[in-house]
Amino acid sequence: MLPRKPMLVTMLLGILLMLLVPASAQDEPTTITWLTLGWPADYIIEEFEARNPDINVEAEQVGFNDLFAQIQVRLGAGSEVPDVISVDVPLVSGYALRNWLLPLDPVFTGDEVEDWLPAAVNAGSYEGTLYAAPVSTSTQLLFYNKGCFDRAGLMPPDADDRLTWEEIAEIAPQLTFDDDGDGTPDVWGFIWEQMVRIYQLQALPESLGGDAIGEDGLTVDGVINSPEWIEAFTYYYNMFNIWNAAPQGEEFWPADIFETGNICMFVGGPWNIGRFANNPDLGVEWGVSRHPYFADGEPATPTGSWHIGVNANTENIDAATRFVHFISTGEGAELWWRRPGGGDFPAQQSVLAMFATEAEFDELPMSYMRTAADEATVNPRPRAVTVGFLEYEQILQNTFQDIRNGADVEESLNLAVQRIDSEMAKYR
Amino acid sequence: MMPARQQIIPYLFLLPALFLLVVFNLMPTIATLFESMFVISLRSGERVFAGFANYNRIFNDPIFWKSFQVTVVFSLLVNPIQIALALGLAVLINQRAPGIGIFRSIYLLPIAVSLNVTAIVWGLMLDQNSGMVNGILLQLGVARQPFLHSVDQALWSIILIASWIGVPLWSLFILAGLQNIPPPVLEAAKIDGANAWQSFTKITLPLLRRVLAFVLVADTVANFLMFAPILLLTSGGPQLSTNLIMYETYRRGFLYGDLGASAAMLSVMLLIVFIIVGIELYALRGRD
Amino acid sequence: MTSRARPTASSAASNSKPLRARAQPIAVYALLILGVIIVIVPLMWAAAASFTPNHKVFEYAYPFSWRALFPVDFTLEAYDNLFDRGFGRAVGNTFFLAIATVIIGGAVNALAGFAFGRFEFRGKNALFLTIVMLTFMVPVDLTAIPRYILVNNFGWINTWQGLLVPGLANSLVIFLFRQFFAEIPQELIDAARVDGATWLRVLISIILPISKPVLVAAALLMFISQWNAFFWPLLIAPTKEMRVVQVEISLAIGQYGTVWNELLAGSMIAAIVPILLVIPFQRYYVQAITGTGLE
Repeated sequence: MLPRKPMLVTMLLGILLMLLVPASAQDEPTTITWLTLGWPADYIIEEFEARNPDINVEAEQVGFNDLFAQIQVRLGAGSEVPDVISVDVPLVSGYALRNWLLPLDPVFTGDEVEDWLPAAVNAGSYEGTLYAAPVSTSTQLLFYNKGCFDRAGLMPPDADDRLTWEEIAEIAPQLTFDDDGDGTPDVWGFIWEQMVRIYQLQALPESLGGDAIGEDGLTVDGVINSPEWIEAFTYYYNMFNIWNAAPQGEEFWPADIFETGNICMFVGGPWNIGRFANNPDLGVEWGVSRHPYFADGEPATPTGSWHIGVNANTENIDAATRFVHFISTGEGAELWWRRPGGGDFPAQQSVLAMFATEAEFDELPMSYMRTAADEATVNPRPRAVTVGFLEYEQILQNTFQDIRNGADVEESLNLAVQRIDSEMAKYR
Repeated sequence: MMPARQQIIPYLFLLPALFLLVVFNLMPTIATLFESMFVISLRSGERVFAGFANYNRIFNDPIFWKSFQVTVVFSLLVNPIQIALALGLAVLINQRAPGIGIFRSIYLLPIAVSLNVTAIVWGLMLDQNSGMVNGILLQLGVARQPFLHSVDQALWSIILIASWIGVPLWSLFILAGLQNIPPPVLEAAKIDGANAWQSFTKITLPLLRRVLAFVLVADTVANFLMFAPILLLTSGGPQLSTNLIMYETYRRGFLYGDLGASAAMLSVMLLIVFIIVGIELYALRGRD
Repeated sequence: MTSRARPTASSAASNSKPLRARAQPIAVYALLILGVIIVIVPLMWAAAASFTPNHKVFEYAYPFSWRALFPVDFTLEAYDNLFDRGFGRAVGNTFFLAIATVIIGGAVNALAGFAFGRFEFRGKNALFLTIVMLTFMVPVDLTAIPRYILVNNFGWINTWQGLLVPGLANSLVIFLFRQFFAEIPQELIDAARVDGATWLRVLISIILPISKPVLVAAALLMFISQWNAFFWPLLIAPTKEMRVVQVEISLAIGQYGTVWNELLAGSMIAAIVPILLVIPFQRYYVQAITGTGLE
C-alpha cells in the first residue's frame, strides 16, 4: 500500500537483510495483537483465550490521543500488525476507503447482524459492506445534583422528563454560585461532558433541523454555517460567555467536579451512572433525566462508540476474525460489557435487554441504566458519515473551543468551513 | 606514517555514524520528501505522480500561510529570548561563589524533564480555572488570565514552556564552553584594565564563537521542529494563533493521512531552515 | 570609551570597591534565586500532587496556598497503581535502552565528531552538510512512516534492536563533539603523535579526558533522547513487555478522563532517574573550575 518503498530503501534493505536475518521461531499458538485503548482489557483476553487455547491475544494499549496517529502510520505503512484494531466508529469510512480494514460480512450470521442496533451496523459499514463490528454504543443523559436544585428552590426533573435547552438556559444561571465572592463562580450551573466535541454538540443544530454534513459527505459550506448552526452555537456561546453558567478554559471531565459538588448539571454518557453508583465517598445526591432539546425543534440524542476491525494485511485472518466475533456478539459482548471497571453501553439488543431483566437494575440509581437503554433506541443521531471525519472532527473541536472561550460564532464557523474545505479537497 | 593510511582514517571513524544516519535518517527523509511529488487518489487507492500539485495546493491554502506567519513570529521571539537567557544563566552559574554547585544542580533539573511532561505540567499550572499561576495572581490581586486560551497570550505561553527546558539546556553547553576558556586569558585582560563588560564582549564572546554557533543553530532547529506542546495543549488554537508549521505538517500527515501535502510542507520548511542555518553558520564562521 | 576606561577603573578601585564587592554578590544571588523559583515551583507542585489523592490534585493550587507545594494529604495511591500496572518493568526497559544508547551511541558519535573536528579530508564539508546537518534538521517523528517500513522489513517490530539502533547515531551529538574537539590546542595532539600514538589512542587518552564537560553534556543528551522517546517506541514496540516509560505515562490519559496523580507520578519517576544521574556529574564542572584555577 502507500507509500511505496523507494528503490533506494529496497536495495539497501536487501543488503541489510542478509546481515540481520531475524530469528523468527513459529510458536504453537497463534499470537495476534490488538491495538486498543488503555481500558481494562486483560479480563476479556483471558476469557477469550480460555475458550480458544490455540490463540494468544496481546493487547497493545495506547492513550486516546495517540491511537489515531498509530493507526495512520502502521496501517498506512502496510504493516501486517496489529491484527485487530479498536476503531472509533466515525473513522470506519476513512479507513475502509484506504483499504485498511478487512470486510467482515462473512464473519457474522444474519441473526448476529440483526442483534446489533441498526444505527451501529450502519456506522460500522462503508458502501454496504461491514468493516468494523459494533462492540459498544452510547447515548446521553442529563445528570444533575439535587442539592443545587434545593439550594435554588427549584424542582429537579424526573427520569423521564426531557427539559428544553431554553429551560436549561433559565435554570443553569440559577444553579451557578460564587461563594467566595472572587467574581468567578465556585459552583457552575451546567456543562457538556465532552465540551468541545462534535459527538455531543451536533445534537444542538440537529435538534433545530440542521445537518452535520452535506449529502456528498464532503460539503460543509452552507451546512455548518447554516442559520441552524449559528443559532445552536450562539446558544452554546451564551452559556459560557453571556449567562456565565459554564466554565471556560481547558477541557476537563465534568464528572470529576460533579463528584465534589462544583457542577450542578451536565449532559453526559451512561458510563457515569455506574461511576457515581459505585463511589462510596460520593457526597452528592444525584439524578438523571432525558437528553434536552430545543422547544421549536425535535429531540436529538448523540450515539456511537467503539467498534472493532481487522487489519486488511493481517497474516492471521482466522484468529483475528474469531477474536472480533467473540467480543462483538453473544457471550463475549456480554462479558465485555460486564468487565470490571467497564461501563460501556452495549450495542447488542440481546445484551441491552438485560437492563430490563436483571435484578441489579431494579432499583435507583442503577435503574437509570434502563432510562439510558431506552434513550439509546428512541432518537439516536450518529456522527456524520464522511471519509474525512477525523479532519472534520478535529477542526470543529478547535472551533468549539474558540467559541467557548469567546470567539465570534459566525466568524468561527466560517473559518471552520474554510479549514475543512481545504482538507476535504484531497477526497474530491 | 603512511599518507595513504592517514587518508583512510577519518573515513573509518565516520563510517559507523554515517552508515546509521543514512539508513535510519537520510533515506526515510528522502522517501518522505519524495512523497510530496505524489498524490494518492483516495477514490481508487492509486498513487500517482503529481509533479508540483501538492506544492500548488499548499501555496494556495490560507491555513498554510497563516501557520507560516505564526512560525515566523514564534522563531523571531523564541530564539533570541532563549539564547540571551541561556548566555546570562551560563555566566551567572559560572561565577565562583559559595553554594553555586547547588544552584547549578537545580538549574539542570528541567533538562531531565521531557518536553511532553513539561507541557502537561505547565498546561496545568497555566489552567484558567484551577491553575497555580492564576492562584498566585489571585493572591496578588491580579485578574485571572486565560493564558493558553487567549489569542494574545497563547503563543507567549508556548514560548514560556519551550524556554523552561530550552534555557537551562542551552546554558549547559555555553557553560561547558566558558569552562574551556583558560583563566589566564581573562586575568591578562583584567591586568590590562578591562572592566567586566569589556572583557566579556572582547574576550569571552569571541572565544565562545564555536559554542555559540552550535547553540544558535541547534536552538533554531529545535524550535522549528517543536510541536509536542502544541499537540498536547492547544491543537494550534485559539483561532490558529499557535498553529506552527511543524504541527500543521504533523496533523496533515499523521492524523489526516494527507502525506503529499505534509511532505510538501516539510520540504518547504526544510529549505527555509537550511537557509537560516547556513546564514547563522556563515555569520559565526571561524577565521581559520 | 576605551581610552577613558583606564583612569576610571583605577580611580574607582580605591573608593567604590567595597561597595561593588557587596552589591554584586547580592545581585547575583537575587537572580539565582529568582531562577530557582521558576524552575522549582512547577516541579514541587507536580511532585506534591503525585502524592495526593486524585480528586485533591488541584485543591491548593487555586487559590494558591503553600500546601500546593507539599503533599499534605499524603498517599501512595498513584505510585501503587502505576507499579501494579507494570511501570517498574517500563523503567527497567527504558534504563537499559538509554544506557545502551549512551555507550554505543557515544562511541559512534564521538568517532564521527573527532573526524569532522580534527581531520582534513576530501568531501568533509559535503558529508557534514548533506548527512549530519540535513538529518539534524528533520524531525524524526515526521519521517516515521518510511523508517517504520524499513524496520518492519528487517523484522524488528517488537524487538530491542528496533528500539535501539535507529537512535544510536545522533547528528546533534556529532555536531556538538565536532565543535568542541575543534577547540582543543593542536600542540597536545602533536605531542602525542610524535610519541607514536595512534589516532584512536589520541582520541581516548588525550581528547576525551580533557573534554569531560562536553562528554557529560553529550551523554545527557543521548540518555534523555532515548529516555524520553515516545512516538517511535509506541510504533515499534507497543506490547506490554516492551513498553517504555513515556508510553506507560501516556496511558494515564484516557478517553473518559485523565488520572492526574498517576500522570504526575509517572512523570516524577521519569524525571528523577536522569536527575540522579546528572547530579553526581555536576562535580565535573566544579572540578574544571578549581582545577584550572589552581594552575
